[in-house]
Amino acid sequence: MADTAEGVGGYPMTLRVFDPTEIPDEPDPSLLHHHRYKIGKSVRDLWNRREIIYTLAERDIRATYKEATLGILWAVITPLVTLVVMVFVFKRIKSFNTGDVPYALFAYCGILAWGYFSSAFSSGANSLLSNKGLLSKIHFPRECFPLAQLLESGVSSALATAVLVVLCLWFHFVPHVQAAWIPLFLVIEVIFTAGVALAASALIVHVRDLAQVTGVIISLGLFATPVIWPFSKLPVRFQAVYSFFNPIGPVIDNIRRTFLYGQSPAWGLLAIALAGALVYLSIGFWTFRRLEADLADIA
Amino acid sequence: MPTLPEGGIRVDNVWKRFRADRAHPNLHDQVVGLTRRIRESGPKWRWVLRDVNLHVEPGQTVALIGLNGSGKSTLLKIISQVTHQNAGSVESRGRIGALLEVRSGIHPDLSGRQNVYLYGAILGLTRKEIAARFDAIVDFAEIGDAIDRPVKFYSSGMQVRLGFSIAAFLEPSILLVDEVLAVGDAGFQQKCLNRINEVVQSGTTLLFVSHDLAAVHATCDRALWLANSVVRADGPTRDVLALYRSAVEGDAALSVVRDGDGATVVKAIVEGPDGGQVVSGGDVHVTLVLRMPEAGWGPLYLGVSEGTAMPVFVLRQVVHYGANEVRIHCTMRHLPLFRGRYSLWINMRGRNSEGKKRRYLPWQPITNFEVFGPLPTEAPGGVMVLSPVHVDASWEID
Repeated sequence: MADTAEGVGGYPMTLRVFDPTEIPDEPDPSLLHHHRYKIGKSVRDLWNRREIIYTLAERDIRATYKEATLGILWAVITPLVTLVVMVFVFKRIKSFNTGDVPYALFAYCGILAWGYFSSAFSSGANSLLSNKGLLSKIHFPRECFPLAQLLESGVSSALATAVLVVLCLWFHFVPHVQAAWIPLFLVIEVIFTAGVALAASALIVHVRDLAQVTGVIISLGLFATPVIWPFSKLPVRFQAVYSFFNPIGPVIDNIRRTFLYGQSPAWGLLAIALAGALVYLSIGFWTFRRLEADLADIA
Repeated sequence: MPTLPEGGIRVDNVWKRFRADRAHPNLHDQVVGLTRRIRESGPKWRWVLRDVNLHVEPGQTVALIGLNGSGKSTLLKIISQVTHQNAGSVESRGRIGALLEVRSGIHPDLSGRQNVYLYGAILGLTRKEIAARFDAIVDFAEIGDAIDRPVKFYSSGMQVRLGFSIAAFLEPSILLVDEVLAVGDAGFQQKCLNRINEVVQSGTTLLFVSHDLAAVHATCDRALWLANSVVRADGPTRDVLALYRSAVEGDAALSVVRDGDGATVVKAIVEGPDGGQVVSGGDVHVTLVLRMPEAGWGPLYLGVSEGTAMPVFVLRQVVHYGANEVRIHCTMRHLPLFRGRYSLWINMRGRNSEGKKRRYLPWQPITNFEVFGPLPTEAPGGVMVLSPVHVDASWEID
């Protein structure tokens, strides 16, 4: 047998031995590598691998509900309990003027929309940390993790709308035809949530303390957003600025306007909310891409 | 620069560093980081890869060997783009399949079936493509009906089998295997090696990280030896392994803690008949001079290994000694070893004259020697040879 083996495909291979002392302590500055990210390419990669998002979401939905005895019912129970508490408390302390519409219905519209944001945001923000194993073993667009949480929360929220149907039947309430606009409002909410969740998920890996901050944001946000109070309580001159920074406000308001009151959407504030949501998404995606390169090293 | 062919890997002057002072960042770290930046003294770094070069042709099988912490896994991660290099350039073409542990990577609450689909999606396959390979995966993993049970109820062997089958049947252009086969039983390990060989035959490039040198030898044409974050040798597996073994042996001799109960090896000589060379199939004379702290008796073990602590064979002899220098002579007849560099290991325990238990010498290498003779016959691809045992054989073919 020859002392040098032939590589597969006939590439000759000989033994090469290296002297470690010849290697400098630091790399030549001309070799330094700066990880480049191209937004266009990132978006294309993400789109090509969207199947992963569905599969991850499916995984989490199954894993969450499979173990629980009540299973998928929890998607309904959680918002229902919130509703009962809110109705009970606000009936006693202070009642908001909700016109002909029962307060429970009024509040539940807000709870549903807010519930989607809070669950998608909190699970999305922690998604990179909780998927460390996959993250550090195999490469695919990491945006899939927080985005899968968006999808998962979407399914839970869709199930939770069952309560809304029951409430309508209970109060003999017939929804107005303007409710057809609602999907458009939800798009704004999803864009906003995606932006915040993307940024938060990558930031949390770098600064672990932020994991606690998300909890605070969600608790405060419940009261800082017109979930249990009407948007009209906000002074008119602040409404535009508010809509930009918290697009969920006008989203909830417009769900109520159309679904509960049969009014046409408040287009001006919605446009501002959409602009705000898009800014959040751009910043979120950019932040994620910037921090993405180091994720596997420190997660 | 020519474009890489499908399945090719090109690693040029790659450097990678990690934080040496803190692995996990927190808020305090960031704040301190800011003030540091002002004082212009950055955090401490540790290079884990320095100036690594590796060009792999499609279909080549390359083993990465080296001690723990030498940078093997980091190099795999850089090639698969899980992490990025700090300097140099890395390029690869084709779908990269990494063999990952089911327990850490994929959801333990999900059934085996769902895990197959999830992992397939991550590798970039559509549901249809996965479904086409599904039966082969389940068959190979020998999982049967358990495929619909949550993975957390699998035995660790089943988990490894499933993880391997998924990666090996989803037909990646580049397959990365990082020290996972060790968990399976011997039969399955051999099956895995056969499958890896099949995959390689079909043109897949293999990067194999393992401490199991027999498995490395059985699977890979080429080996890259990493030591202390630099490449020490690159070439045909056999040659690199020989270098690696003799280096490990040298290190082992240095690193053994001589915490025995006072006995020392004064002299250790291994030689052939009449002080000549040691040859395959010939006699070997071992002369030992030991200095004992006290009189006693007990078994003396001598072992011969290829450098690692696992000997090819062991000899045992009960010895009585006085409280001074003891001269021991041992003749090994018909030494059944191939050409190569081997080391002699010793272990001595027993009781002293008062009947107290003693560990005079822990298991440690005491000297190295060369054996001259034929080179080992190469086993067929994918077959592990455990020991370099030389057997004289004659053939008759009618």
